[in-house]
Amino acid sequence: MSGKVLTITSGKGGVGKSTASANVALSLALVGKKVVAIDLDIGLRNLDMILGLENRIVYDIVNVVEKSAKLKQALIRDKRTDNLSLIAAAQTRDKSAINSSQMSQLAEELKAEFDYVILDSPAGIENGFRNAMIPADELIVVTTPEISAVRDADRVIGILEANEKKAVKLVINRINPELVRKGDMMSKDDVLQVLSIPLLGIVPEDKNIVNYTNIGEPSVLHTESESGKAFMNIAKRILGEDADLMEIKEKKAGFFQNIINFFKE
Amino acid sequence: MSKVEVKGRNFLGFEIEVFSESLSDIKKEIDLRIGNGAYFFNNAIITLKLTPKNKNFAIEIYKFLKQKGVVVHAIEVDNTQGCNAQGIIPIIESKDTHIVSAEKNKEVAVFKGNLRNGQTIRSDGTLVVAGNVNPNSYVYATGDIYVLGKLYGVPHAGYGLNNDAVIFAFDLNAPQIRIGNLITRSPDEELNSKEDNVFEVAYADNGQIVISSYYEWLKLNK
Repeated sequence: MSGKVLTITSGKGGVGKSTASANVALSLALVGKKVVAIDLDIGLRNLDMILGLENRIVYDIVNVVEKSAKLKQALIRDKRTDNLSLIAAAQTRDKSAINSSQMSQLAEELKAEFDYVILDSPAGIENGFRNAMIPADELIVVTTPEISAVRDADRVIGILEANEKKAVKLVINRINPELVRKGDMMSKDDVLQVLSIPLLGIVPEDKNIVNYTNIGEPSVLHTESESGKAFMNIAKRILGEDADLMEIKEKKAGFFQNIINFFKE
Repeated sequence: MSKVEVKGRNFLGFEIEVFSESLSDIKKEIDLRIGNGAYFFNNAIITLKLTPKNKNFAIEIYKFLKQKGVVVHAIEVDNTQGCNAQGIIPIIESKDTHIVSAEKNKEVAVFKGNLRNGQTIRSDGTLVVAGNVNPNSYVYATGDIYVLGKLYGVPHAGYGLNNDAVIFAFDLNAPQIRIGNLITRSPDEELNSKEDNVFEVAYADNGQIVISSYYEWLKLNK
């Protein structure tokens, strides 16, 4: 079996890389693929928290590359599905603890056993980002529809193109259809005009995400949530099923809700 | 190098250049190159360029091309001696054509693709960018800059004190424009509010950078 290395990156911090990584990893695992998620944000780890596996970490990625632990020991099995494993980042070290050749070697080893190796890249364009980029077969650039995030995404895409990474796709996170309609937020097309790479998916703003992160349950586990549906759609599109891009509809407030909102204002 | 090459020549239509020395090779190659695509040459001026070794086949190649639907208007050779098409179609001697090509001896570089945040491109001569120039990127050229797309980065035309250089873009919305030793910046308000899709040109006039619509600029330069 030879899997694919899928790197999730963005440039800017706080746009939802780790949330996207957790959701994509979990949804691919839920549809039956063998997936390993690796947190490369060494020193500032949080993928384990988002997945709710914080209490199970014994060995981390630095232990593996320094050979003080075996790869099997560092693989943390997810509590909901056997298909998903996690390799956590070290919290007591920094990003210089591993280099890109060690990372490539680890990715090669994991590719033999898993269908998808998902690398959660740290923010920035330094060492940590390069470690995540170099072994990648496919990349997902996450951005939000604001000018600063889009500029940083553009910078990252430029670096990827310079490194001859061809399979780069875009996820636009935290779109608020109401603000787009009012013209206060960049629309999906505005973002695409600047970045001009294929669009993998769009994820609506979801106020429940904060809660999902706090309780360690990514939104794909909450099948009724809009963001969960969006990430499921993205997973299907990664698998190459010809799933159409999920459009985001503005929620229509009911009659009584309108009256309540009227008085609130 | 292949045996037959088809080149587009600005304002001069197409040139079909033949290198091979054997007639059957030439016919085979022309078949391959042009095939059934003769309509591509419709209404174009076509010259046939031959080498001293194969100019004695001029009339055969001319007839073969005509059979394919490509009508040659003139033949270009080093000198008319030994060319068997004399008196049938006009023959140009290479020494006359040098005048035309020597004049456009300026360097033109073409960059295809988008120039992204943080990237810089430099060119000695005129630069054509076939794509967008995104914010926070830089474009330097000692000659003119033509952007066939959006120009949202910073262009510097006439780099090295050439104030005659111009900057053209389908959508000119740069935060700064630099021409030669001049610099100007966009107004602080209304950066993104512009009438839809006016091609614009920036050029220097009396020590100031002026931006005008492409069509007005064309009128000025007539």
